[in-house]
Amino acid sequence: MIELRSVVKKFGSFTAVDDISLSIEKGQFFGFLGPNGAGKTTTIKMLTGLYEPTSGSCLVNGYDVQKQPIDAKRCFGFIPDQPYLYDKLTGREFLFFVGGLFSLPAGTVRRKVDEFVERFELSKFIDKRAEEYSQGMRQRIVVSSALLHDPQVLIIDEPIVGLDPRSARLVKDTLKQKTREGMTIFMSTHLLEVVEELCDRIAIIKDGRIIHSEFQAGPNGFNGQLETLFLELTK
Amino acid sequence: MNALLLVFNVKANSFLKNAFDLRPSSVLKNVSSLIIFGGVAVGVFFLARGVTTYLIQQAHIGQFLYHRFLSMLLYVLFITVNLGNIIVCYATLYRSEEVNFLMGMPIGHEKVFLIKFVDNFFYSSSTLTLLGLSWLLGYGSLYAMPWYFYFFTMFAVLLPFMLIAGLLAVIALMGLITVASHVGIRWLLALIVAVYLGAIYLYFHVTNPVQLVQEVMRHFPDVNLYFGYLDAPLVRYLPNHWVSEFLYWSTQGDLVRSFPYFFMLIITLATLMVVAGHIARRFYYRSWVAASDARAMGGEEGRRLRLTALDFGRPSFLRPQTEVLVKRDFWLFLREPSQWLHLLLMILLLLIFLVSIRSLEVRMTQPFLQTISFLVVFLFNGFLISSVTLRFVFPAVSLEGEVFWAVRAAPVSLRRLYWYKLGGAFLFVFMVSQVLAILAFSVLYRSFLLVVLSAACTGFVALALTGLNMGAGSYFATFREKNPIRIASSQGASLTFLLAMIYLAVVVALLIVPLSSYFEMLIRQGGAGGGWVTLPLVLVGSLSIGVFVLSTRLGLRALTRDF
Repeated sequence: MIELRSVVKKFGSFTAVDDISLSIEKGQFFGFLGPNGAGKTTTIKMLTGLYEPTSGSCLVNGYDVQKQPIDAKRCFGFIPDQPYLYDKLTGREFLFFVGGLFSLPAGTVRRKVDEFVERFELSKFIDKRAEEYSQGMRQRIVVSSALLHDPQVLIIDEPIVGLDPRSARLVKDTLKQKTREGMTIFMSTHLLEVVEELCDRIAIIKDGRIIHSEFQAGPNGFNGQLETLFLELTK
Repeated sequence: MNALLLVFNVKANSFLKNAFDLRPSSVLKNVSSLIIFGGVAVGVFFLARGVTTYLIQQAHIGQFLYHRFLSMLLYVLFITVNLGNIIVCYATLYRSEEVNFLMGMPIGHEKVFLIKFVDNFFYSSSTLTLLGLSWLLGYGSLYAMPWYFYFFTMFAVLLPFMLIAGLLAVIALMGLITVASHVGIRWLLALIVAVYLGAIYLYFHVTNPVQLVQEVMRHFPDVNLYFGYLDAPLVRYLPNHWVSEFLYWSTQGDLVRSFPYFFMLIITLATLMVVAGHIARRFYYRSWVAASDARAMGGEEGRRLRLTALDFGRPSFLRPQTEVLVKRDFWLFLREPSQWLHLLLMILLLLIFLVSIRSLEVRMTQPFLQTISFLVVFLFNGFLISSVTLRFVFPAVSLEGEVFWAVRAAPVSLRRLYWYKLGGAFLFVFMVSQVLAILAFSVLYRSFLLVVLSAACTGFVALALTGLNMGAGSYFATFREKNPIRIASSQGASLTFLLAMIYLAVVVALLIVPLSSYFEMLIRQGGAGGGWVTLPLVLVGSLSIGVFVLSTRLGLRALTRDF
């Protein structure tokens, strides 16, 4: 469903991502872990077409993100690390805007927006302009926008940062439900407890290289071994 | 004081690092800027020298009249700097993230004010300073002034003059925002527009350039005498008058008479600095809070303008992607006062221009003068188009902002997005330029051929300048900057404006010979055929299409860069 083939990203002489290869199956909840500056966001930006790899390729649902960007982007939803919105548009207008970008009919968007208002408790602020929103409100709107077109793949960069415990629970429950429904999720984070709770499989990146990629969760999750492994590998 | 020095030190270091960045792309960008800015500075130098020589030595208008015209130009500059600072200061003093950060630090509010005022003043006035210095060198070289004259005039006369305009702007702004929290921003904006238009009208009504020329010319050829008694009393208290008087007496070598004007500038500047500091200490924080509150209230349901036809939920005949882009751009434009207010001001200026040219008499008996008058009006149209494109087209890509992730991660063709922006901008600029060209040249010449030539050439200019500003705006895009005015006055924007000026100069050069020949035939032989328009149209068209294609390729490539 998601495939990274020998992906390299250089900024001048600095190599941010160094020959990464990964393959994530349909319905898998994949956690992408690493310390600050390891190359997580750069990898996600290549995967979503915001950066062009120096070499290698990124595939989503069989489509090359750089060569077939339109087909690839139809398949995924993206939640960035910073939930930037248009300050002068309301949350509802932003959701209609994103729905339009995915060519969804207005009726479908309206139905989905009503659903998200209910699920993410947006009713108090969805018709106010985003300039008044807190970080958590913005994050909930962005999560809604990523799910609007029922994507097969969800790519998430730090989903829980800025959310209060109640909103974090809402988002985590939604993500769990989506994987049960067959959605593939690629999530970058450094919150180990989130990974413990949600992910089926993890990879750890450090200095642009994957240093561990085959850590699968057992029937009891990761059995609390994740922190030890992470600290050991990223020393 | 230490905190203040620390902040200025960080800003200076950041500026120097940027200016002396040795990466090849930065070096190329900086060298290109240097060449273009340098070229324009040299151009302004020769223009100032040429115009001064012509008016003083050929047209014999005399020193008095010349310096009165200079005073009027300085008044326009004063109002421009003043209004520009009011608009830009609002963004830098009241809406920047840096102010939010500094307000949370143990730094006095008046120091935050000082930091942002200095930042803002040098940011928005650097290009004007360069042009002012070039003009001063051109003007002074004619009078063989010593080197220290330029140094002194630039830093002790022109800089204080511009600082006075800037300080008056921020003092007014702090007062206006405090008042706005009580009366509402819409009424206040209307009041500001009325006050500035009133000030411009009053000044030119009192100074009356036409009457001034007639009065002075009555004493011809003794026009070098000083007709100080012709000055209206009000004018003597204005800083532009002090600068022109300082220059007048300095070029006469009479330092005793020139220095009082310098002292008046310095005393006014010192007084305003004290007043601004005092007002900032008392009102800056209060007005900053009022501005934040006003922004928060701006989002309330009841105060919003509703146009149901353009609601996001309402489908239209457009493709969904195009539809939401149109609606987004419409609402973002309408909900940002600095956007529609500037557009209204520009439309007003266009109307003033069209009304004022009605009384011009350009059908002269000399072919050369006829050509010059045609080109001056054409060039003025070009300046207006370049101002409109710089202000509204150049920032178009940058205004996608940091939320551009939403578009970049969606199944939207970036090429199509670029053409959507370019097409919409061109349509608007083309319509404005055609109205301008057809009305102006119909009124002035009543010649079908000249109207067709001017409309077609202006259309090409609109195409080239829209393409240039969109392409350069994409190349120099700064997604972090939210303020369109700051984007339109950035280094990249200044460079684009100068490129636009060079393009306009080449267009004018291409038109001179065919137009002169036409007027020559028209005046000497009483008529001319229409075939001669083909060559200038082909030349101007080819040049414009070339500029458009190159700029568009650059812009398209830049839009797909890493975000």
